[in-house]
Amino acid sequence: MSAIIEIKNATKTFRRQVHALRSVTMRVNKGQIFCLLGPNGAGKSTLVKILMTIVRPTSIDGSMLGHTIGHKPTLRKVGYLPEHHRFPLYLTANQALHYYGGLQGMPRKRRVARIAEMLDLVGMSAWGGHRIGTFSKGMQQRIGLAQALLHEPEVLLLDEPTDGVDPVGRRDIRKLLTRLRDEGHTILINSHILAELEDVCDQLAVLVKGQVAMEGTIDELTAGHEFWQIRYQGNAPSLDELDIQASDEDGVIKMTGVGVNDVQPIIDRLRSAGCIIESVYEQRETLEELFMRALAIAESDDASTPGAVRGKNT
Amino acid sequence: MIPILALLRESWLTLRAERLFKVVLALNILVVFAYASLGFDKTGFFIFYGAWHYENEFIYSGSPLATTLYLSIYSAFIVNIWLGWIAAILALISTSSIFPTFLSQGAVELVLSRPPRRSTVFLTKYAGGLLWVGLQVCVFTIGAFLASGWRIGLWDPAIFLAIPLITLFYSFLFCINVLVGVITRSTLVALLATMVFWSTTFAIRQADDLIASRQFANQFQIAQIETRIGELLQTRAKIEFDGSSRALDDIDDQLARQHDRIDDALETSELLDPWAVWISRVRAIVPETARTIGLLQRSLERHTDISFTDLMTGKAFEEDDEQAIAEEMAYGEDDEDTRRWQERAQRRRASMEATMEREQAVPAWWIITKSLIFECVVLCGAILIFRRRDF
Repeated sequence: MSAIIEIKNATKTFRRQVHALRSVTMRVNKGQIFCLLGPNGAGKSTLVKILMTIVRPTSIDGSMLGHTIGHKPTLRKVGYLPEHHRFPLYLTANQALHYYGGLQGMPRKRRVARIAEMLDLVGMSAWGGHRIGTFSKGMQQRIGLAQALLHEPEVLLLDEPTDGVDPVGRRDIRKLLTRLRDEGHTILINSHILAELEDVCDQLAVLVKGQVAMEGTIDELTAGHEFWQIRYQGNAPSLDELDIQASDEDGVIKMTGVGVNDVQPIIDRLRSAGCIIESVYEQRETLEELFMRALAIAESDDASTPGAVRGKNT
Repeated sequence: MIPILALLRESWLTLRAERLFKVVLALNILVVFAYASLGFDKTGFFIFYGAWHYENEFIYSGSPLATTLYLSIYSAFIVNIWLGWIAAILALISTSSIFPTFLSQGAVELVLSRPPRRSTVFLTKYAGGLLWVGLQVCVFTIGAFLASGWRIGLWDPAIFLAIPLITLFYSFLFCINVLVGVITRSTLVALLATMVFWSTTFAIRQADDLIASRQFANQFQIAQIETRIGELLQTRAKIEFDGSSRALDDIDDQLARQHDRIDDALETSELLDPWAVWISRVRAIVPETARTIGLLQRSLERHTDISFTDLMTGKAFEEDDEQAIAEEMAYGEDDEDTRRWQERAQRRRASMEATMEREQAVPAWWIITKSLIFECVVLCGAILIFRRRDF
């Protein structure tokens, strides 16, 4: 698979003291939804801002769409939705989209056609003539998505795209992201809402203290961390009696590192003890669990705060 | 080109949304109406479209003084005071927020993540800020052009020089505003810093003009004393020949007093000279805000038989300047106090004329070039900071 974004040894030190990024290396392939996870201050936004030329890296190698990172004309093919974006409130949605489309170098005729299309896509076609100052946060977020998609970018960088959006809107955004990926767009998402990313994420990287703690597909990263879950009613024998390595909480037995054959005798034992089996299923590690595991690994390597690192680079 | 037009259009939409912009625009129109209310007829002049009429032997329809007065009111008062001070302060209040708002978190990312280079974005935003003043002055000068055509029959396109000159003058202040705005991202600090800078340039200009005026006055005083000493020596020679020792003593006393006065004047000169050098050096660095606006007056003066200087010094109202001086000299010639009073009056007028001539002698290219160099240096600094900053 060809790499659309390739980052090698990205380093950013603010004021010679705060090491926001420490030799970050990662690769985003074409047609993927790549999720960038990490606690606050891990350097996620800094990395995205470096790609968008908003922050200057201390050092970086790599490319985006075949050009050196920082190459301004390449940004014509990149859409970006910043976190906590602030649109000029006195502009109408149409005016704002004309403004951002113009900044991308789109001719007026093309802008007019695309603006109508984009407003329709984000469910705001009735609001084009209204001032952004009158919009709710969720509506502004939709306009943010529209401006990021306006110039038909090959790559989308979205920083907290569902921030402030209602559940229906979130579902719509997830659907939109999947559709865009299927159409061949490459999407890099930076988000805290892990449950939302689970269904759409193809590849992820977990940043902790400015370093990549984990990177890979969800299948690769959760391999060996699947577990079987048996939900039952009644008085089950103790785990020692069952002779298994598992956890039993509120009528749910969780068994890690076992196969389907290993589960059968346990079901039999539970039934013979008079328990009613409600459900039995194999479950993958959730993104949140994966994230917490990555954090724990990083913490064990460097036991300090989860944010950016102060002082001399390590 | 499309991104630049997009940025300029956004600046225009920002202006349109600004309440203060609309208020100042309305005030501009009001000032133009007030200006147009002044008119002339065969016996004198009237104001407020004829509400008050004044008969005047010098100022009447078609008189050279009427043209000078009408253009002076435009260039020296309306442009200088209204556009050069009041409207400029209102513009500063309004435009001080342009860069801090643009650089605020969440807004700047939406612009800097686009293909245009940061320096292009910066300069276009800067030009957008100047659009505020440019548009206001544009509306104002159109009104003034129509008013002067209607009232004195002068359809002079030079009136439109106010647009580039006022915009240029404002840009000398706005560059400081932008520099501080880029550094601090605070509207208030940017505004205060600009006001302090403006006050400083004003103080430097006033100090320079004051010292120059004192130097001129001093030179005239020395010349007057020398003339007086010459006269006294002639009188003394005459008396010596006649042989009146009492009159001779009296003349000697007067001569001694004149020598004391000349010593005082020379002492003052020695005191002023180093200050004059120091102040003129400082003035050579700072932009010429007032002189830039003053260029409009110079340009309009070519249409008038009587100069603005003559109007300001009162010379324009005298039939014969030489004769007036002679009359002043003749009055109470032997009275020492009266003579002193006359000399003082002459010195005041002469130093005023010399100061004004000194102003007129400063070449326009020098005023604009050195101010533009200052602006370029400040803007280069601001662009450098803006280009290197992480947002």
